[in-house]
Amino acid sequence: MTGAMLSTEALVAGYERDLPIVRGIDFAVQAGELVVVLGPNGAGKSTLVKAMVGLVPIHSGSVRLREIDTTSTPAHERIRRGVAFVPQTENVFAMLSIGENLLVAANILPRGERDRRLRAVYGLFPDLAARPSLKAGQLSGGQRQMLAVARALVVEPSVLILDEPSAGLSPKIAAEVFRTLKSINEAGVTIVLVEQNVKAALAIADRGVILVDGKLRHEGPAASLASDPVVAELYLGAHRRAAVVPA
Amino acid sequence: MIAQALMDGMIAGAMIGLGAIGITLTYSILRFANFAHGELITWGAYLALAISGGLGYLSSTLTAPIGPFSFGWSLPLAGVLAVLLTGALALLADALLFGRLRARRGTVIIMVMASFGAALTLRSLLEFIFTSKPAYYTKALQIAQPLGGGIRATPDQMLTLGLSAVLVLAIHLLLTRTAIGRAMRAVSENQQLAGIVGIDVRAIIRVVWLLGAGLACVAGIMAGLLVQIRPHMGHDLLLPLFAAAILGGIGSVPGAMLAGLIVGLSEAIAVQVIGAEWRAAVAFVILVAVLLVHPQGLFGRRA
Amino acid sequence: MSGELVGYGAFFLTMALTYAIMCLGLNVQWGQTGLFNVGVAGFVAIGAYVSAILTTPDSSGHFGGFDLPIVIGWLGGALAAALVSFLIGALTIRLRADYLAIATFGVAVVVQLCALNLQSITGGPFGIGFIPRPFAGLAGEPLAFSLLNLGVLALVVLAVYLTLERLVRSPWGRVLRAIREDEAAALALGKNAVRFRLQAFAIGGGIMGLAGAVHAHFIGFVAPDNYVPILTFQVWAMLIVGGSGNNRGAILGAVLVWGLWTASAAAISVLFPPEQQARAAALQIVMIGLALCAVLLLRPRGLLGEVRVVSRHVGNLPAIGARDFPNKEIASHAREP
Repeated sequence: MTGAMLSTEALVAGYERDLPIVRGIDFAVQAGELVVVLGPNGAGKSTLVKAMVGLVPIHSGSVRLREIDTTSTPAHERIRRGVAFVPQTENVFAMLSIGENLLVAANILPRGERDRRLRAVYGLFPDLAARPSLKAGQLSGGQRQMLAVARALVVEPSVLILDEPSAGLSPKIAAEVFRTLKSINEAGVTIVLVEQNVKAALAIADRGVILVDGKLRHEGPAASLASDPVVAELYLGAHRRAAVVPA
Repeated sequence: MIAQALMDGMIAGAMIGLGAIGITLTYSILRFANFAHGELITWGAYLALAISGGLGYLSSTLTAPIGPFSFGWSLPLAGVLAVLLTGALALLADALLFGRLRARRGTVIIMVMASFGAALTLRSLLEFIFTSKPAYYTKALQIAQPLGGGIRATPDQMLTLGLSAVLVLAIHLLLTRTAIGRAMRAVSENQQLAGIVGIDVRAIIRVVWLLGAGLACVAGIMAGLLVQIRPHMGHDLLLPLFAAAILGGIGSVPGAMLAGLIVGLSEAIAVQVIGAEWRAAVAFVILVAVLLVHPQGLFGRRA
Repeated sequence: MSGELVGYGAFFLTMALTYAIMCLGLNVQWGQTGLFNVGVAGFVAIGAYVSAILTTPDSSGHFGGFDLPIVIGWLGGALAAALVSFLIGALTIRLRADYLAIATFGVAVVVQLCALNLQSITGGPFGIGFIPRPFAGLAGEPLAFSLLNLGVLALVVLAVYLTLERLVRSPWGRVLRAIREDEAAALALGKNAVRFRLQAFAIGGGIMGLAGAVHAHFIGFVAPDNYVPILTFQVWAMLIVGGSGNNRGAILGAVLVWGLWTASAAAISVLFPPEQQARAAALQIVMIGLALCAVLLLRPRGLLGEVRVVSRHVGNLPAIGARDFPNKEIASHAREP
């Protein structure tokens, strides 16, 4: 797909060769968009985004970043190309302090840039700036999530991909996370968001796609998806099929 | 009498500690118990022996003892080279064996098994080259100097203690104040996340091998200097090293050094009480105690 | 001349079969439950020494000398080794797999130390001699003696082999295999995985002890130098080469590697002058070490490979046991969608 910031073409991916979880997905995100990836449990949402950042083996198909094929780029190179990923769990280094977490991320930047970016990120997250020597493991769930996002932003990524950032957070904190993501997007960062929290995610998104059983079944502008009966059907339909699929 | 035992225990403990730091670093990042680590100690000692012997052959001034110590400049010079070569040996072992098994998603147990095989191979190779006769860096004898409180120590022993302290401090600073140290700690905690934030995990693994091997080499040279050089010297240290690494908590450098000192002191005290022939059992007792009571060790995370 | 050859062949095979018993024991621990015992020599030594103490006639030199029948000695040795295996297993089985490895390594070191130092019990560096041998009355007829001993050993190996094959195919054995392949699934089936592994570890250790006892009675003496890490290494090499997880592979590997070992020893004694023999023996170990690493790299299955008695995937449940995962990446993959 031309002009897309990040796209996949007929992507088939999964941890084991004979068990693909993503089963042929064409997916594209335009620059500046905030796209939400929805779907029932086991649909392959996490696997899709992880395949897009090189954490899950790709069986066939391709991943492109601004037209450049990154299908076989090693995971640690992706961030240098401007794709930042925030995993769902274990997304900060608990044994390192807040400051060290950010320093580790800043290390790939040229020397002169580091201070500037760190200051910028601390500016966005004053809570983190208050006690930079606190060990990340001692933070609350919400603060940890903020740190994970902050860490991803240090390198000024073009694309930010998040896997269920609101999981395990109280509605109030989750709302804060979504607000933060919205403002990051408004500042020009393309965001791909995997979420279970359909309503809150669609509220900040431009567009949504719905995955079921490893395939892209439905997509559309976020506003219309929010009230689209097909969405509910896809979610309920998946529940009806009692599949023992790896979650 | 007991004070002297404590002194001897500290010195032995310092060497065990250095080796244990190497083990804890490689263990926390490579995630398997490397039975070949003892052979890095032995190879380090023998490499230094060969090189310093060669240097001494080239120029006899290099063998003249420096100041109060028993060795000439040939040893420190050889030591530097030996550290590099031992590091290279570790990288070679990783490239030929461990790395390949890792790439093949080998389980922990296969890695341990391979390390066991590599250890025996390396040890026997040394035995073939050098025979099992004990060797020494220098024939010069040392007089133990009184330090007060009934304790005596030779200048070599004092140097060993001092060098160990310096090295531990240096590594601590490396891990806490430098980018590479932070990267090592990150990889040690979560390899996948480290990759996500842009750390080249393979490069860090190579650094850890070099660091662990370098420390092992220094420990080997120290042991060779203070005691003797034999093909089994590293293997005989394996149990105390593992006990210290586990007692200190896998991944903790200060823990490893502290635990090394504890093991060394315990061995020295036990020797006073139950006799020197039981020395090797002390480490085992400590190991069992740690595994029974607190497997994470003093400063470690989950076992 | 041919009588001598037959006699030598019988001796060779008898020795190989004692190793085969050790391999069978190790196969229970490794092949069936995936536990890595780095102290095989220690457990073999326990069986050997206990049997020696039980069966040698009373002497002022050391404790023991109960002068019991050989069979009692063998059983005692096996039981003692099984007990120690159980204790060490109980200590480490819930921890990381390599902690068990380190602990068993420690056991071997301590057993050697005890054998050396507890002079009054073990005879110290000289060990215990005059251990009664089966068919001792026939010592005057070497050929008959060798063949009968070979027969005894073959019987023991057969008995152990058949028992183990029954165990593998029994419900108990199937659970063990399920536990090895997929701990989470096995736990989900409601079996106490730890209990089973512990039982298997103890049984394997007991068999190793039996091997030690049989070996001791065959050669007639025990000494600390018989039970050094090289022994552990030989047994591992035999199991890996023959095919771990497979009892026939264990026996085949024992005979094969023992053959290679004695052949290379013979080659060394021919090729190297006497004063270099010790050095050359080290080369022998280097070659076997390289061979072990090569097998691990190229054909981890060994010669006979693993007979799949239980299918690999137990249903569709994901494996979340981190124990066998090479690194956290795989473990965390398996946890998340």
